[in-house]
This record gives sequence, structure tokens and C-alpha cells, in this order.
Amino acid sequence: MRSGARSGLGFALVALAPVLTIYATVRIYPIAETLRLSLHNWNIISPRKPFIGLANFEELMGDALFLEALRNTTIIAFAVLAITIPAALALAALINHRYGSRLAGFYETAIFIPHVVSLVPAALAWKWVFDAKLGPLNWLLGRFGVAAQPWLYDPVLAVICVIVLCAWQAVGYAVLILIVGMRNISPSLYEAARLDGANSWQLFRFITTPQLKPVLLYVSVVTLISSFNIYAQAFVLASDSQGAPGKLVRVLVLDMLENSFRNYRVGYAAAEAVILLAIVLVLTGAQFRLFRDRSAAS
Amino acid sequence: MSARDAFAPPPGPSATRRRALCAALAATLMAAPLPALAQQKLTLWSGWTELKPFYERVAAQFKKKHPDVDISVEVIALREHEKRIALAMPSGAAADIIEMQVEYGRYAEAGLLPPANAAATAFVSDPKHFDKFVQDAVSVSGKVYGVPLFRGQTVLFYNTDMFAKAGLSGPPKTMEDYTTYAEKLTQRDSAGKPTVSGWSLRLSGGGMGIAEKFWINMHQYGGAVVREKNGKWFADYANEAGRKTLKQYLDNVIVKKTVSPEMKADAEAFSLGQTAMFIRESWVIGDIAKKAPGLPYATAPLPKGSIVIPVGLYVPTKDAKKAALAWDYTLMANEPENLVWLLDNVGWLPNRKDVDYSGVIKAKPAFEAFVNYPKDHSFFTLPFITPVSEVLTRLAARLEKGYLDPALAGNDAAIDAFLKAAADETNTILKREGFYGAP
Repeated sequence: MRSGARSGLGFALVALAPVLTIYATVRIYPIAETLRLSLHNWNIISPRKPFIGLANFEELMGDALFLEALRNTTIIAFAVLAITIPAALALAALINHRYGSRLAGFYETAIFIPHVVSLVPAALAWKWVFDAKLGPLNWLLGRFGVAAQPWLYDPVLAVICVIVLCAWQAVGYAVLILIVGMRNISPSLYEAARLDGANSWQLFRFITTPQLKPVLLYVSVVTLISSFNIYAQAFVLASDSQGAPGKLVRVLVLDMLENSFRNYRVGYAAAEAVILLAIVLVLTGAQFRLFRDRSAAS
Repeated sequence: MSARDAFAPPPGPSATRRRALCAALAATLMAAPLPALAQQKLTLWSGWTELKPFYERVAAQFKKKHPDVDISVEVIALREHEKRIALAMPSGAAADIIEMQVEYGRYAEAGLLPPANAAATAFVSDPKHFDKFVQDAVSVSGKVYGVPLFRGQTVLFYNTDMFAKAGLSGPPKTMEDYTTYAEKLTQRDSAGKPTVSGWSLRLSGGGMGIAEKFWINMHQYGGAVVREKNGKWFADYANEAGRKTLKQYLDNVIVKKTVSPEMKADAEAFSLGQTAMFIRESWVIGDIAKKAPGLPYATAPLPKGSIVIPVGLYVPTKDAKKAALAWDYTLMANEPENLVWLLDNVGWLPNRKDVDYSGVIKAKPAFEAFVNYPKDHSFFTLPFITPVSEVLTRLAARLEKGYLDPALAGNDAAIDAFLKAAADETNTILKREGFYGAP
């Protein structure tokens, strides 16, 4: 028996070895290397990488651009989460309610398309929407007597533009996952509740939402992590636009790239990456804890 | 061996001949793909998309001279180009020929970029071909590392119709004139908001462009973002030149409102008739020819001088045979016929001086300001030091906020404090990288 279990474990290890090797090479090793680099001063081309301890982290704490990037990224990530999850839940409920109708497929596809459409053309389209002079958004606001807004230039409005673009992209994926979750909820729960006189809102509030908690946890974690990693959205909406004005919304990944490949400070950028990793890990842990506590309480 | 083989007669002359024929045939078949294997491929990386036709044109000529060599031209956006160079140079994975601005120096100093071969060195070192400024821009410690190709140089572009309507007979002569002209040229709606900017200033966007444009304006007042003294550098803008420059931005944006941040800007605004004047490089001429061929405009030199950013071709490849071919390509790109084509069709200014560009300049008078400037016109370039990018990027981030800060407008003390804080940051960066020297 014992030798059978041992040979089974051996087979499992051999079978998993290629995948584990690839995972270790493309995931674990780069993370370990980033952690190591964050403690060194390296200019990308020099063979010398002197160890400088926590000096990169100390400098980051007083770096106005990094702190601005951290603040912007955090605001964007939480705003995207706050918009995406409730919106996705509502949309998923509506689509699920129309399950079986002829247009159900169309609704799902229409909601999911922003997630699969290529980011750069999508961001360019939004750039046009937000254009202060020619954009349809200001035109629409003008119809209601609201003055044209410098969407892509004003420091606050530019962040809002990035949030809208990110939420628009994230909501499709969240809806799809939530619909799958909703369809896995046992119909008997709804039937029992209906027999007890529950209305639609009560069904959604007391059956659908609690039953979706594991799915909501997954969607929240994925949305938050991807929002902390935003880069192209901010870059395309505002930066390097010689003809069109645009406020560069400084986000963490953009700051890292700038420090790595323009300022040639790879160790410094690695320290930023370590901080981003730590934030994401802490927030993910907090989400797990939050959902688990609530699940236990309910 | 079978019994049958054992009793077979030994191979005679015909059998030997047959074997020899078979061997010859096999050898021929094996040798047949050799020409294909011998086909060499060189890769060229560029960061200017508009230059692709130029490089492909030179590649076609190169193919005639070297039929066994293919040139693959890979062009991407400049910022991405800089990133791929930064990644590929240390790992030895860069293309055979690459375009670089001032960053070549750091790769040369690190031993990642070999010097030019004898033919390219002789070509570049010949004072008949290039000015010393251009020769120095591809050299490190007197050793040539690349072949100069073109340069970015700035002049004023102005809309002649708008100038005539505003009663202005010619371009502004001094920096003070620029603001006066901008006021006259600005077109406004009934609420007084500018609809056509009098002078399009770089107020936003990513990267270091904002600081570069600030430096160009400040150069007219005698200032510099960083200045060299005995091989060391220091910030030189927390002074009168810096104050005048920032004050002029604030005057135009906040006080006189000749331009607003949300307006279209730069070459696009000029082509669309949404600005009366702006400062830019020669590529705009080619851009206008494509996008707004009927636009009535002219160019003029800036009051004191201009930035010049030389761009050269470098050969990082270590393979001697490929390197020789690659250097040959860079020299072919510098053939007079190709440089005239470059100026005429792309608009970037070639660096080689012993070429007759008069035909193009006559046909496109807008180039005149780039080549015929006052005798005392002074030029500057970005310093060939590692932290220059960080210095400019951080200054740009500060300026972007400063340009919109009403607390700075008309307040010299606040402007001075703003510039001092920025200059302190610049000096800190220079110190950290070992480039700082007290003024």
C-alpha cells in the first residue's frame, strides 16, 4: 500500500515536472530576481550591480513621482473595483433573468466584447469620446447646458477617464464569470424561497448574492490585480500625444518602465515592482479574509 | 552478408563509375541549397516610422550591390525603440544596424558598441563631409562609433494668412515679440475663450518633451537645463533666464490666455489651422505636405538659436562579415542622392554638408530657415550623460503642473522658488550619478 502511494506520488511529480519547471522559470525566478535586484544599484548595461540594501526603498518613499503614481494607481484600482463588481452583478442578473431568450447570446456577447477587443484601438476610440473639442461626450453635455470639460487634461478628470476605460473593459469579463456562477446555483433554492413568499429582490439579495461569494471573490481579486497593473490605458489616453493635449496619468507600471528603460535604473524600478507586489498580496489576502469572514458569519 | 552477395563478382569499372556518379549526384543535390544558405540577412531598427521608405529605398540599392544580402527594416515608435535598444544591447540581441541619438555614448563607454570600421571612420572624420559638432556627436574620446544621418533642429512655423489678417508683416524677432504676436494672433469665441491659439506651446504629454521645449525657449534667454563645466554638470535654470521663460509660459497660458491646455497643439493644430505659430523640427514640412498641402505658411529661425539632436546609424553586430556589410549600408544611406531624397520626401535634415540640397530648398522654401540662419545663431544639444533623461523627465513633470498654477503667474518670488526646487532635484540626480560639479 505504502509503496503504491509512493509510486503514485512519484508519477504525479514526474507528470507535473514540465509544468512546474515552466512555472518556476517564467514566474518564480523573475519574482525572485526582482526581489534581488531591488536591493542593488544596476543601470541595465553595467556588469557591476553593487548591493545597496534598502536604499532604493528609502529613496522611493521621498520620490514625488512614485508617490503620485502610487496614489493614482490605488485610486484607479479601487474605483474600478467599486464600479465593476456592482455593475457586473446587476448586468449578470439582468442577462441571467433573460436566460433562454433569443437575445441572451447577443447580450452576453455585447457585454464581453470590450474585454476581448484590442486595447490600443479601444483606448484611441475613448480618446476621441473624451476629446474636449470634437468629442461626443462634451457635445452631449452641451445639449444639457453643461460646459465643455477638458477631460484628458484636467488632473482629476484625466484619472476619471482612465477609470471609465478600465471599468468598461473589466465589466465584460466579470459579467461572464458571474453568469456562470448564477447558472450553477441550484434552482431548488429559488423554488423553496418562492414557496416561502420571497420576491425577486429577496431572491437576489438572500440567495443569489450569498451563493456567488466564491465567484465574487475570484472576480474581485482578478479585477483589483489587473487594475493595479494598468499601463497601456493611461499611456494611450494621454501620453506622447503631440497633437492632442493629454495629461499623463502617472501609474506604477508606467513609472517602472520609465525608471528601467529611460532612466536606466533597473534596481530602483525593481523596488517599485516589489512594493506593487506587496500591495497586491496584502489586498488579495484582505479580500480572502473579508469574504471568508462574511461567509462564516452568514 | 548474404550467400548471394558472397558469390557475386567484384564490382567492375562500370559499377565504380555508377557509384561515382551517384556520389556526384548526391553532392550536387546537397550543394543545391547552398546559395539559399549563403543568403545573409541584416536587420535595421529605427524609431521614426516616417523613415521606413527611406531605409527601404537604400536597402533596394544595397540589394543591387550585394544580391546575397537582404535588409529587414523594423520600425517602431521611438519610445518603444529606446526600450528595445536598452534591453537588447546588454544581451547582444540588438539588430545589425540601429538608429540612436545621444544614448549611443553609454553603450560605447560600456563596451557594448564597437567602434566604426576603417571605411566608416574615414568617411565620418573627413571634414569635407561633416562639421565637428556632428563628428563629435557620433564619437567617444575621439573614436568614431557611428555614421551621422540626420538631425532634429527647430525653427518657427507660422501661418502667413493669419499673420496678414493680424496685421503682422513678418515673424517675431525677439522672445518678447512672441507673446505680443500671440496676443494679436489668438482668435476667440464670444466668451473670450481662445478657439485658435496664437502660439501653441507644449503644455502636456508624456516623457521629457515638455522640458525639452522649455529648454529651447530658455536657450533664447541664455539659459540651459544643465550646463557643463570642466567635465561636470550643474542645473542652470534657477536664474533670470529660467524665470523669463517660465513667466512667458504663464503669461500666455494664465494671464493673456493665448493658448489653453485643452486645445489641439503642435503640428496637428498647425495643419488644422488651429494655431498661428509653433516651434518644431523640419519633419513638419513633410507632414504638412501630406496632411495640409494648401496651408499658407513660412518658417523663420528662432531669435538666438536652436536645439540640434543628431541621429546616427550604429552597428552593434560582432560578426565581422555582417558588420562590414552593415557599415557599407550606413555609407550608402549617406550617398548624396539618398540624402536629397530624404530631405525632399521625409523632411528630416541630413547632416552631410557636401551635398547640393538647393533643388529641394528652392522647391520647398520652408527649409530655408533650417539652413540659412544668422551668423551668431547658437546651437545646443542634449548632453551625452546617462541621467539626462531622468533630469528632463522629472523637470517635465514639475513644469506640467507649474504651467497651470495661478499662484505662479505674475509672482517672481514664487517662480524663483519653483525653479530652485526643480534645480535642486536636478543637481541631486547629477550628484547621485557622479556628474555634478559646482557652477
